[in-house]
Amino acid sequence: MAATSTRYILICSGKGGVGKTTLTANLGIALAKQGARTAVLDADFGLRNLDLLLGLENRIVYTAQEVLAETCRLEQALVKHKQEPNLALLPAGNPRMLEWLQPDDMRKISAMLGEHFDYVLIDAPAGIEGGFKNAMAAAREAIVVTTPEVSAVRDADRVIGLLNSEGVKPIQLVLNRVRPKMMANQEMLAVSDVTDILALPLLGLILEDEQVIVSTNRGEPLTLTGNSSPAGRAYTNVARRLQGEEVPIIDPSKERQGFRAKIGRLMQTKIF
Amino acid sequence: MELEPARGALLVPDESGRGSHWLVLPAASQTPLPALVQQAIDSGALLGDGQIEGRVLLDAGSWRLNLSQLGELQRILGERGLELVTICSSQPHTHVAAAGLGIVSQWPNSTAPASPAKPDSELQVHRGTLRSGDHLETAGSVLLLGDVNPGARISAAGHVLVWGRLRGIAHAGCQGDNTACIVALQLRPLQLRIAGAVARGPEGAPPAGFAEEARIVAGAIQIDPAQPVWPISD
Repeated sequence: MAATSTRYILICSGKGGVGKTTLTANLGIALAKQGARTAVLDADFGLRNLDLLLGLENRIVYTAQEVLAETCRLEQALVKHKQEPNLALLPAGNPRMLEWLQPDDMRKISAMLGEHFDYVLIDAPAGIEGGFKNAMAAAREAIVVTTPEVSAVRDADRVIGLLNSEGVKPIQLVLNRVRPKMMANQEMLAVSDVTDILALPLLGLILEDEQVIVSTNRGEPLTLTGNSSPAGRAYTNVARRLQGEEVPIIDPSKERQGFRAKIGRLMQTKIF
Repeated sequence: MELEPARGALLVPDESGRGSHWLVLPAASQTPLPALVQQAIDSGALLGDGQIEGRVLLDAGSWRLNLSQLGELQRILGERGLELVTICSSQPHTHVAAAGLGIVSQWPNSTAPASPAKPDSELQVHRGTLRSGDHLETAGSVLLLGDVNPGARISAAGHVLVWGRLRGIAHAGCQGDNTACIVALQLRPLQLRIAGAVARGPEGAPPAGFAEEARIVAGAIQIDPAQPVWPISD
C-alpha cells in the first residue's frame, strides 16, 4: 500500500500518569481489530512499558536500537501480537540510547514503519524535553490525552503550543479518567472547562474504570478481550472516530444515571 | 546594523564590545537557515578578526522562525562554542519561539535605552492563542486575536488588548507607562500588572457579554466595563 496514506499519530500529554500508554495499547488493539494494519512505537525510551501493557514483554528479541544500528531488519524487531496479528510493536531500545537518539533517527524509524502499516501510533514520554521532541519528529498528527485536573490541563496546553509550533496537525483531545459523579457535583473540572481552555476537537471521553487497572496488570488491553466495560467501549469508539466513523460522544451526566440503573438491575437480579 | 548583506548571513562585532557578535540574517534567501549560519561562521572565522567566541545576538529581521529552527540554530552555534543570548525580530512568531527556548527577544530598534516617557504607539497584531508557557512581548501596544490561556504571559510597553479570553498573566505599560490599560472580552487573568502595580485577577464568573477594562485609578488597578472607544490615539 502507498506509504502516503499512513497516519503517523503521536499520543502525548505533558504530564505523566494520565493514560498515554494505556490509550496507545487499547487504541492499537481496537484499530487492528477493525482491520487496520497498526504499528505501535514505544518512544518512551527511558521508562518503557508499552510492551507490558500489551503482554509482549517476553517476546522481545530486537529493539528499535538494533534497527537503527542496522544490526537487524525491521521485520525481525517487530513483535506481532498473538491474538491480533494486525498489530505489531516496535519496542524501545536501551535507556542509554536516549543520549544519542536524534529526531532524524525517529523520522527514519517511522518512515520505515509507514511502508508496512496504515497506522503508526507513537507513545510519547511524559515531559517536553528531548525524548518528547524526538517522538514529535516522527509524527504528523497528534492525540493529546488529559484528565480533568488543572495540572494535567495546564501541561496539555503547553504541549499543544509546542505541537502547533512544529506544525503537527490535526491535534485531537482525549479526556481520560472522567468521574461523572464528581463532575455532576462540580468537584471536578467539567468537560466544557477543559475544551474551553484547550480549544481542540474532542476525540473521546473515557470514564474512570477499575477494569483498566486489572487489564494493565494482566497485559491484556480492554479492547482485546471484548470486555464491555465503560472504558473498553470508549477506547473502541475512539478508534472508530479515528477511522472517520460518526460515533456520538457519551454525556457523563447521562452515563451516571445509566451506570446506576445498571447496578440497580444487577443487584436486583443477584438478590432476588 | 547599517550593513545589509545581499545574500548570505553576516557576523558583525557588537558595538558595545565585550566580544559578542551580531548574526545578521539576509532579508530573503533560498539557502536553508542552518547552511546560511554555517557559512557566516566559517567566513567570519576566515576574515580573522580575532577568534569568534562567546555570545551571539541574532538579528532575524522578518524571518519567521519556529521552535525547531531556533533549536537547530542554537545547536550549530553551540558546536562552535557560541551561545545564543538575544534575538531581535519583527515577527511575533519568532518571539514566541524564543520565549519557548528561554532566549531573550526584542523588537527592532528597542536596543537603545527605552524612554519610559512615551511608549511606541505602534500596534502589533498577533493572531492565535497563547498557550501555557508562551510569552508575547511587544514594544508598542498589542492586539491579540485569540485567548491567553492560564500559564501564558502577554506584555506590552503600551496597551494590552485581547480579543478573546484573558486567563493568564497580562502586563501593560511594562516600561513604566501608568496610563496603559488592559482590555479583554473576558477578563479573568491570574494576575494583572500595569506599570509597577500588581493585582490578582477577580474571582467568580464574569458578566456575560461585556468586555472589561483594567486601568490604574488612584494608584491601584481597577476593573470596569470597557469603554466603547479605541484606547490608542493616532
